[in-house]
Amino acid sequence: MTDSLKLNVDRRDGVAVIYTDGYINNQGGEEIAKVAYELIDEGYKVLLLNLAGTKIVNSIGISILIEIIERMIEVEGRLAFCNLTPTIDKTFHIMGLAQYSSIFPDESTAVEQLG
Amino acid sequence: MTVKTQPWSLLEEASDRDWENGTVLCRALDLFCESQGARAAAVFVEGQNGYELVQGSQASKFASLLPAGAELLELPGRFRLAVDGDQPLRHPPDAPIALLLSAAARLQRLHERLKEQEFAENYKVVTLEALYDVGLAVASTLDLEKLCEEILLRAVSLLDARRGAFYLADGGSYTLRGTIGGEARPSLPHDDPGLQALEPGAGTERCGLDLLPGARFPLTVAIAYKGKTKGLLAVADKESRTGVGPFSEPDRRALELFATQAAIALENANLHRQALEKERLEREMQLAAEIQRGILPARMPSSSALEIVGWNRPTRQVGGDYYGSVSLHGGALGVVVADVTGKGMPAALLVATLHSALHLLLEKREPNADLLATLNQHIAESSSSNKFITMILVDVDPRADALGYLNAGHNPGLVIRPDGSVEELRASGLPLGLLRGATYEYRRVPFHPGDLVCLYSDGITECTSPDDEEFGEKRLVSFLRERRIEPLSEIIQELDEAVTRFAAGQPQGDDQTVVLLRRA
Repeated sequence: MTDSLKLNVDRRDGVAVIYTDGYINNQGGEEIAKVAYELIDEGYKVLLLNLAGTKIVNSIGISILIEIIERMIEVEGRLAFCNLTPTIDKTFHIMGLAQYSSIFPDESTAVEQLG
Repeated sequence: MTVKTQPWSLLEEASDRDWENGTVLCRALDLFCESQGARAAAVFVEGQNGYELVQGSQASKFASLLPAGAELLELPGRFRLAVDGDQPLRHPPDAPIALLLSAAARLQRLHERLKEQEFAENYKVVTLEALYDVGLAVASTLDLEKLCEEILLRAVSLLDARRGAFYLADGGSYTLRGTIGGEARPSLPHDDPGLQALEPGAGTERCGLDLLPGARFPLTVAIAYKGKTKGLLAVADKESRTGVGPFSEPDRRALELFATQAAIALENANLHRQALEKERLEREMQLAAEIQRGILPARMPSSSALEIVGWNRPTRQVGGDYYGSVSLHGGALGVVVADVTGKGMPAALLVATLHSALHLLLEKREPNADLLATLNQHIAESSSSNKFITMILVDVDPRADALGYLNAGHNPGLVIRPDGSVEELRASGLPLGLLRGATYEYRRVPFHPGDLVCLYSDGITECTSPDDEEFGEKRLVSFLRERRIEPLSEIIQELDEAVTRFAAGQPQGDDQTVVLLRRA
């Protein structure tokens, strides 16, 4: 059903979209963080995580996403999410991720508003 | 800029966030390095696994855990200072900087602990919400696949498991219905010895099932409803930032809670599936009953020369008895009663086959032994080996003084003469469909005004009383003899009442059919 996380990145003007496919746990979170920090080093200030391929996130994955948000705040950038399952959306709101990041229903809305 | 004055300016300029995120400690360490001519420095704190890094200076390359035996200088509290320089310091830093480093480290640690506590509190809410959501899903989701996935996803994420698998009891084995984080054993037999270690609903680390090959810390629970195992939920390898470890006691309880929810969900989904299946069968039966109502005549074609009535009471919605009439060449009428083995849908389908075949054959041919042999061949070819039909067909021409008949293994038809004598229309061959190539005889008997003919199915004569006595042919003959001059509709109604009275509430064992005809 779900194996380890696979990532794809689409670098666009002003925003980099990271597509996740699989479980965001410790390993998956670390992989996202690695890619996100590389994109920050490349100069991207706006990152969009498209979670269309992710049905499951655990607490370790969430803590890593919070670290990425903190890092984005440090560099005065912005992290956003889109295509969340209702369960993940609810979890992100309870865990406070929604306070420091933006959550959009789909990618086109996100790109339009982030741009 | 001196070490003595700079810490104070650092304190004056620092915002809350600088204290919280380590900026103050980092800058204090930079000041310290500058004053001592060191390349880098870092503050560590004594932890369970050794000295853990709190914060390093900007150029610090210290690992998160200090290697054993590394030189450290004491700071107030449980903090230690590591310095990377050509000339390692042999004495603690000056009091102001030592106090600043210690205070900044303590504040940073406190903030981190507060964050952890806040995270844990929030995650408790997530856990409660998840249990609530699974409870809702149990009540509202009847899709088995969706439920299995939901329960597995929630269990794995809430227990921070790296891997998980969900199995459902399926015939003689447990079949994998979902997996997360890697391969899982595809199935296991019901009698797998590893299952013996599983107590229904109780999580266990040692069951030896190896459901998740290569897992280091498995935890498995049997999903049981009323003591019967319906499935298995397995998770493995609890994650932390530093790797994987065993699950805690609260984790085991949470998994057991999920197993309880899953058991109710599976039972609900199963009951729902059964209800849908029953509903589908009922719809099919209703449809079949409608088709059969279309096949059986609303009323028999009586005339001034020939009075005919028919009556049928199936045991189920759809029966296996058949009766009807067919117009024959030369103005004669064919009247038929048949009984298909079995009841319900399979019997009804064969009744429909018989009806159409009989009508097609009699459209072009005379009722005779060859016609019955052809019909036998057709039924044998279109039905399974354990299905056959007994049938009696009488060929009546009100203008003639005789009736012809064909009887394929059916109860003898009865001819009650006006004087009360009885003649039986006995079988001349095997039931239809029983043996290919079977042969039959077409026979004729006298048929005069006042003669009463009764064709019936064995549901009438084999109707049993509470004493297990059959209604029987003798009782039927006697009944008919007594009423042979009454209107046929009254005889039928009285026969219905007599049979019902005889059964005295015993369930009807077989379909009941009677056709009566009398020459005027």
